[in-house]
Amino acid sequence: MIFLVDFLSAVVNGISMGAIYGLIALGLTLIFGIMRIINFAHGALLMLSMMVGYWIWKFSGVNPYLMIIVVAPIMFCFGYFVQRVFIKPVLDAQKDVREPIAVLLLTAALAIVFENLALMVFGADYVMAKTTVTDATIALGGITVSAARFYALILALVIAYAFYLFLQHTELGRRLRACGQDRNTALLMGIDGPKTFAIAFGIGTALLTVAAIVLLPFYYVHPTVGNVFMTKAFIVVVLGGLGSVPGALLGGIIIGLIESIGAQYMTATLTTVVVYLVFLLILFVKPSGLFGSRLEW
Amino acid sequence: MSASILEVKQLTINFGGLIAVNNLDMQVGYGEAVGLIGPNGAGKTSAFNLISGVYKPTHGQVIFNGEDITGLPPHVINRKGIGRTFQIVKPFGSMTVLENVMVGGFAHTSNRNKSKAIAMEVIERVGLQRKVNALAKSLTLADRKRLEVAKALATDPKLLLLDEVLAGLNPTEVEEAVDMIKDINKSGISILMIEHVLQATMAICNHIVVLDYGKKIAEGTPQEVTNNPEVIKAYLGDEYEAVIN
Amino acid sequence: MDIVQKKKIGLIVIILAIALSIPLFVTKPYYIHVITMCLLWAYLASSWNLFCGFAGQLSLGHGIFTAVGAYVTIMLFNDFNISPWIGMFAGGAAAVLLSTLIGYPTFKLRGAYYALATVAIGSGVMVLIENTMTLGPFHVGGAEGLIVRLMGNAPAYLQFMSKVPYYYLALAMLVIVVVFSYWLKNSRLGFYLSALKEDEDAAAALGINVRNAKLVAAAYSAFFTAIGGVFYAMLIRYLEPMAIAGPMMSNEMVFLAVVGGSGTVFGPVVGGITLHAISEVIQFYFSDMAQGLHLFIYGLIVVFVIMFKPQGIIDILQKYYNRFLGISDRGEDESSVS
Repeated sequence: MIFLVDFLSAVVNGISMGAIYGLIALGLTLIFGIMRIINFAHGALLMLSMMVGYWIWKFSGVNPYLMIIVVAPIMFCFGYFVQRVFIKPVLDAQKDVREPIAVLLLTAALAIVFENLALMVFGADYVMAKTTVTDATIALGGITVSAARFYALILALVIAYAFYLFLQHTELGRRLRACGQDRNTALLMGIDGPKTFAIAFGIGTALLTVAAIVLLPFYYVHPTVGNVFMTKAFIVVVLGGLGSVPGALLGGIIIGLIESIGAQYMTATLTTVVVYLVFLLILFVKPSGLFGSRLEW
Repeated sequence: MSASILEVKQLTINFGGLIAVNNLDMQVGYGEAVGLIGPNGAGKTSAFNLISGVYKPTHGQVIFNGEDITGLPPHVINRKGIGRTFQIVKPFGSMTVLENVMVGGFAHTSNRNKSKAIAMEVIERVGLQRKVNALAKSLTLADRKRLEVAKALATDPKLLLLDEVLAGLNPTEVEEAVDMIKDINKSGISILMIEHVLQATMAICNHIVVLDYGKKIAEGTPQEVTNNPEVIKAYLGDEYEAVIN
Repeated sequence: MDIVQKKKIGLIVIILAIALSIPLFVTKPYYIHVITMCLLWAYLASSWNLFCGFAGQLSLGHGIFTAVGAYVTIMLFNDFNISPWIGMFAGGAAAVLLSTLIGYPTFKLRGAYYALATVAIGSGVMVLIENTMTLGPFHVGGAEGLIVRLMGNAPAYLQFMSKVPYYYLALAMLVIVVVFSYWLKNSRLGFYLSALKEDEDAAAALGINVRNAKLVAAAYSAFFTAIGGVFYAMLIRYLEPMAIAGPMMSNEMVFLAVVGGSGTVFGPVVGGITLHAISEVIQFYFSDMAQGLHLFIYGLIVVFVIMFKPQGIIDILQKYYNRFLGISDRGEDESSVS
C-alpha cells in the first residue's frame, strides 16, 4: 500500500514536472517549426523570465501566479525584439545555405549574453518565490502532492490547450500553421514572413514565461537555471517530433514520468543516463519523433 | 554479358500507396542515347533516382553492364560507372568551377594534380574553360547545367543520366547543349536523358521511352513515338491542363 | 620561385620567428601562461574545424574528446605510471573509438538533429564522469575531479617547473594542426568534405561515400582534440569535469573557430588567438567591475561577428594578405590563406 502511494505520488509529480517541460518545449518546437531554428537561447530566456518574475514578485508582493499577466507580455516583446534585431539579419544572410548553422550559433552566443546580463543585474544568488503555496500540499484521494506542483500542472495544461485553440481558431494562428506547413508557399500567398517569424519567436518566449512563473514557487532561480531545462526541452522536442505541438506536451510528460518513477528505483545519475539513452534511441531509430515531425496541431 | 549497358526490369516503387514507377522495363544499348519523356509527374525523375540508388525499388531489378546493381547506395553506383545530373542543379556554390569538377575527378585518383588534369579536360569539353575560377554560385543557369554535366563526366562514367539539362535554357543555349551532349555520346558514353524539350531530345536520341503515371506507354524511334495515339493523348491532356492552369 | 612564393615563405618565417622568440621578451610566468592558453585554444578550435568546419557539421559536444583524451592519459599516469607522452596516444585512440561509435548512428542525422545529438551526448558523458568515482583499477574522482600526480620537473612525464616548455609545446602542436589542416583541405578528403558540406546528395552522386568521409574526418578531429585535452590537463594539473567536458569547453571551440572563420585553415587560429586574448584582457580589466561583465562582452563580440562578418575575421585579413602578395582576387591563387 505504501509502495502504491509512493508510486502514485511519483506519477503525479512526474506528470506535473513533465507538463512544465512540455510547455518549455512548446516554444522551442513552435520556433523550430516555423523558422527551422533550434533556439539555443531558450534556456536563457526561461531564466530571464524567472528572474523578471521573481523581482517583480519581490517588490510587489502579489500572488506569483498573477505575474503571468505582467511578465508574459514583457517577454513576448523581448522575444519579438530578439528575433527582429539579432536573428532576422543572420537568417536573411543565410537564405541560400541549407543548414543555417550560423543562426544556431548566434542563439548559443545570445544565451551567454543573457546569462551574464542576468548575473550582472540580478547576481548569482539562488532565490525562490517562497509563498504560502511553496509548502502547501493538496490531498488527492489517498496521496498528497505539493500544491505548487499541482497548480503548475493545471496551469500548464490550461495554457497548452489555450494555445491549441489559438492556433485552430484565430487568423494569426492559421497564419502560423501555414508557415509551419509550407513556409515558401505561405510566403507566396502573401503572409508577411519576417513579421510572422518575429511573432512566433515572441509567442514561443511568452509560452516559456508561463513555465517560468509556475516554477517560481518551488524552484530556485539562478543565472544558469535555464541549462538544465533547455537540455530537457531538446530531448522532449526530439522525442515528440520537432515541430509537433501535442508531441511536445506528451514528450514532456514522458520524460517527467521517467525521471520521477526512475528516481524511486535508481540513483538520480542512472535516471539521467536513462533519459539520455531514450533520447539517443529515438534520435537513431525514429528521428522524426514519436508523433511526427511536421508542424502538426 | 548482355547486349545492353543498362537493363531495367519490372522496376516499381511505391511511396505509401502512390506508385511513382510501375513495372518499368527498358534498356539502353552500348553507346546508345535514349530519351525518357512524359508529362509532369510521370515518374521520370523517380526512375532516375531508382537507377542511381537514391531510392530502393519496391520491386524489380536494375542491371548495369551485366551486373545487378539494384538497391546499392548512390556512391557505389557512381563508382560502377553511372554518372547523373540533378533536375534542380546542385552546384557546390562556394567552390570554384574547377574545384567542383575536381570533386568528380577524384573518383579514380587520390592525386590532386591528376584530378585537376581530368577536371580541366572535362571543363573544356563542356565549354566552361573561361569560367574555371569563377565561384559556382555566380554562374548563369546555362553554365550551372554545364557544370552539372562536367561534374558527372569527371567521374568517368560509362552511362550518363541527364535530368532535364535543357530545361530553362534559351534556344541558342539549347542548341549548344545539344551539340555538347551529342559529342559526349559520340565519345562512347551511353546516355539516358529526361527531357521536356521534345525536339531537342529527338535530335539526340535514336530511341525514346514514354512514361505516364509511372507506366511505360510507348517506346520506339522518335517517329514511332510521336505518332503513337497514347502518347498524343498523354501529352495533349497535359497541355490541356496547362491551358486551364 | 616567383615573387608570390618568396613573400609567402618570408611571411611564414617572420611569424614563426616572432612566435619562437616570445619567451625571450615575455618573462612573467602569468603572461606566458596566458599566451600559451591562446595557442591552446587556437589549437582546439583548429581541431574542431578539421571535421566540423570543413564538413559543415555543428558539433556542440567536442568537450567529450578533450575529456576522454585527458582522463585516459591521466588515469594511466596516476594509476599505472605510464608517461603522458605515451598515454596521450591511448587517449587519442580512445577518442577516435568514441568518435566512430558516435558517428555511425549520428552521421545520418542532418543539421539541427546532429547538433542536438552532440549536445545530448556531451551532457550525458559529463553526467557519467561526474558520478564515476572509480572505473576498474582507475581512480576517476567523480565531480571532485582528478589531480595530476606531481613529479617536479620531469620532461619524460610531460611536467615542467617553468611555463616556457609548455609554451613551445603548444606552439608545436598548433603548427602541426595547421599543417595537417592545410594538407587535409587540399587532399581528396578535403574536397569531399567541402562538397558534402554543400550538398550530400550531389556528393554521393559523384561517388563520395559520405558517411565514411565524415567518419574519417571526425576521427582526425577527435584525435587532435583529445591531445589538446591532454595538454590542458598537464598545464593546469587538475581535471575538473565541468571545465574539461562541460558546455563551455564544447562551445568555446566552436565560437573561436566561427569568429575566426570556420572551414578555412587559418581562420580558427586567428579566431582562437585574438578572441581568447580579448577575453583574457576583458576578464583582467572588467571582472572586478561586475560579475559576468567580461563574458557578457565576450558573448556580444561573438554575436556581432556572426551578424556582421559571418565569414569570420579571416575574411578581413585575407584582403590585406592578398594585397601584400599583390594578388587582386581570390580566383587566381589557389593556395590562398583560406
